[in-house]
Amino acid sequence: MAEKNEKVAVHASPRPRRQAGEDAFAPIVDIYQLEDGTTVLEAEVPGATADKVDVRVDKGVLTIYADGRLSDPPKDYACTYQGFCGVEYFRVFALSDEVDRDRIEATISNGVLSLRLPRAAAARTRKIEIKPG
Amino acid sequence: MATFRWPVGWDPFAGLRHVQRELERLTGRWPFSESSGLDGGGFPPVNVLNGPDEILVQCEMPGLRRDDIDLSITGETLVIKGRKQSAADETTVTYQRRERPFGDFTRTIVLPDSVDAARIEAKLADGILTVRLAKSQAAKPRQIPVK
Repeated sequence: MAEKNEKVAVHASPRPRRQAGEDAFAPIVDIYQLEDGTTVLEAEVPGATADKVDVRVDKGVLTIYADGRLSDPPKDYACTYQGFCGVEYFRVFALSDEVDRDRIEATISNGVLSLRLPRAAAARTRKIEIKPG
Repeated sequence: MATFRWPVGWDPFAGLRHVQRELERLTGRWPFSESSGLDGGGFPPVNVLNGPDEILVQCEMPGLRRDDIDLSITGETLVIKGRKQSAADETTVTYQRRERPFGDFTRTIVLPDSVDAARIEAKLADGILTVRLAKSQAAKPRQIPVK
């Protein structure tokens, strides 16, 4: 079976469509930069699918919300051991000016939300030519 | 302001390290301990639910693909092991923040009832592994008529 890698829409609007519940958890993330200056952010949101994720950019603020809640098991199932429960995820980041906010892409696969934050053209390293004087 | 300098050869954390070693010995590294590896044996987090006809085991393993997981059963003991890959090769990228753990993991789960090893179904979706183990005939509840 092919692995799912679904695209997630990135919204630019100030008010979140879904408010995080009071018991939302901050998902753990890895943030790294590729050689071309693109920043990649990966957040662990197990249980969430593309339709349960909300990624929002408003000026310099990136807001990630994901609903990873699991459906309840049948009532006659006794709980022998509980190590986790599906939760809502919510985390906010400040974006630097170097990020091109209009070209942010988001995908989700295997419970990991992956964001590509390309570097703005103006922020790219430009070699300065030294003219003979 | 005076600068305090430790005498050469004196390790102020020696006592703490000794305690840490003792704790590691008791919880992680011994042959009779139940699990080892990532998160001191706590990965992946599991739920075990006991239904009338089956046992349901759920594991939270985001970022893992089917090939990364090794699932096996021996009697009433389910063993989940594998390797959680790191997000990217650290020689080609620059990490700014690294919170996601990675590495080998092994988790041993003793099931509450005996199961039929031929009727086990495991599905991985959205980072959650769901294992359904049908109970063996002997483990199913049976009504006893009272005369």
